[in-house]
Amino acid sequence: MNTAVAFLTRTKGARSLHWTDWLSYAYLAVGLFLMFGPVLWLVMSSFKTEAALSEFPPRLLPYGQKAVAVPGEEGLKPLYRIKLPDGTTRELPELRRIGLMATHVDPAKPDEPIRVNTADREPVREFRMATENYTELGGKFNFGRYLWNSVFITVVATILTLLFNSMAAFALSKYKFAGRSGVFLLIIGTLMVPPAIVLVPNFLVISELGLLNSLWGVIWPAVATPTGVFLLRQYMLTIPDELLDAARMDHASEWRIYWRIVLPLAMPALAVLAIFSIMWRWNDFLWPLIVLSRSEKFTLQLALNAFQGDLVTQWHYLLAMTVITLLPITLVFAFLQKYIAQGIASAGVK
Amino acid sequence: MASLQLKQLVKSFGATHVIHGVDLSVADGEFCVFVGPSGCGKSTLLRLICGLEEATGGDILIDGQRVNHLRAADRELAMVFQSYALYPHMTVWQNMAFGLQNIGTAKGEIDRRVNDAAVLLRLDSLLQRKPTQLSGGQRQRVAIGRAIVREPKIFLFDEPLSNLDAELRVSMRGEISALHRRLKTTSIYVTHDQVEAMTMADMFVVLRAGRIEQVGSPLDLYNRPANKFVAGFIGSPQMNFVPVAAGDGGALALQSCGSILVPGVRAAAGTPLVLGVRPEHLSLQGTPGALALPIVVSQVEQLGGLSLIYGQLPDHETRVTVHSAGQVRTTVGDTLTAYAPPHLCHVFAADESGNALT
Repeated sequence: MNTAVAFLTRTKGARSLHWTDWLSYAYLAVGLFLMFGPVLWLVMSSFKTEAALSEFPPRLLPYGQKAVAVPGEEGLKPLYRIKLPDGTTRELPELRRIGLMATHVDPAKPDEPIRVNTADREPVREFRMATENYTELGGKFNFGRYLWNSVFITVVATILTLLFNSMAAFALSKYKFAGRSGVFLLIIGTLMVPPAIVLVPNFLVISELGLLNSLWGVIWPAVATPTGVFLLRQYMLTIPDELLDAARMDHASEWRIYWRIVLPLAMPALAVLAIFSIMWRWNDFLWPLIVLSRSEKFTLQLALNAFQGDLVTQWHYLLAMTVITLLPITLVFAFLQKYIAQGIASAGVK
Repeated sequence: MASLQLKQLVKSFGATHVIHGVDLSVADGEFCVFVGPSGCGKSTLLRLICGLEEATGGDILIDGQRVNHLRAADRELAMVFQSYALYPHMTVWQNMAFGLQNIGTAKGEIDRRVNDAAVLLRLDSLLQRKPTQLSGGQRQRVAIGRAIVREPKIFLFDEPLSNLDAELRVSMRGEISALHRRLKTTSIYVTHDQVEAMTMADMFVVLRAGRIEQVGSPLDLYNRPANKFVAGFIGSPQMNFVPVAAGDGGALALQSCGSILVPGVRAAAGTPLVLGVRPEHLSLQGTPGALALPIVVSQVEQLGGLSLIYGQLPDHETRVTVHSAGQVRTTVGDTLTAYAPPHLCHVFAADESGNALT
């Protein structure tokens, strides 16, 4: 904790702030605001009630108008602080409003409505986290289903991506065969083809295979990525051949060399690719939108899009769902980031 | 425990010929050392023997069986690599057990062999460590341990000590020799360090450019080098080579000074030859019949117990090193005479082959 404070309040040298300190902190503050401002706003807004969301001007914290129950009326009625003609102020719920005049009532005496000019009142606000945005999600929409679809696609596609790409990278980095560079260049060359061009051919293939409206239709086209092959191959080139020779002398089959020696040593690169793959698959929108048209097959991203109706958008649910959609990526990144910089391959050899 | 024969072994990488028809026979239990300058093909030869490279031609026989077609694993050899090649993600125990696990050895047997090897190599307290947590010498011992547990027919060592510091190298040298005396497994050891080779070898193989130059015991090679290359390669500082011309009746004349009668040299008068004499055989005291070499001293290295005097002959081209016991008073610029006794002189042909004529 102390080191964190010391780190965050570090200065160039002397006790007083040098102008470069001002500049650095200003730069960092702007960066912090640009990076985390929108996220913070999103999270805060996801805790606002529907009424608070539509308020103008907007507020950062989830302040909502207080509401109370009135006997004989349905639901909760918004509470206002009213200046009465006799000079006193009272907090009374509003029953209805027509033009500039609103009808209020005292819940203790529901039979005596009070008519007030809207200029003489102001809403009563309170700080309240609208957690129902989250708790009601499961009941309102088929949220569990969408979450499961997204998780299934992400996890399965990532595992398959790692498997296929690492096998290709192993062959391309550790075996000498005719046409090796040709194959590698061909794989890299596909990076030059814009995804939009292969969209239609991919769709036709998936359609012919009968994979439309199947989660596998989203998974299969994604598992072979040239970026992944390239990333892993470059890393595997740094694994010394002597290790493989030693394993061969140790009676290890080629499959076992791949599984027990190369894969564990390529862990840092695999972690990087895993993070990429999870992000790609989780955030993927266009391809699932094309392949999946039945709502029970929707991923979270498609569901988010579907909630944005033509006439009505239930922003409070949409925002809550967006926050939930962000969480897994954040967790994955926090968990895997320590592998990224870690280079264990070359350490044991010399 | 096995013998090894190489018959006309040839290896080419594309158009590049690396090994040119090597014939060699190593008897059971022998410690054979391959020595040669960098790029002479000694490591390639080792990789051919263990099966990591495929021979272009010729035969490799282990215990009389031709093994050319066998995979590296099936030749039942074990190799200690120059970089140790320990699996960095496995513990010492796992490193040593990996090979046994791959051939499906029973768990109890693996434990027994690994523990035996660990005790033998004083690794028993380090079994749960990863290679990164070990010192250079310890890693080296793990690499040897990994070879031992396999109980191979032949041990192959590929410059195993080259990554260690000088002090550790000396002690590991002793350990490997002791290990060999104890296990009596045929071993092939590649090095470019001639001290290692001299001290460890039963059988000494000098290689140059993919050919065997000479095979023999270390002292054989020191005392009777077959050619100028072997003579120059073995011994430190290097043997002095002085150009001479054959005279009548075995007398050899230096260009600028004196002559010497070396017994047993037969060459037509006037043939250019090379006279070789080791620095430690030159003395500053005259002996009867010795060749006198007048030297202008260019550098003196006083090492306390011995002194090395570097100088040039009057032709200003031939450099001569004198190894003198004890300390000397000579300083740079002095002129002195070094005497070479005839029975310690070697004579080589001045042509490409440099074959010994004595």
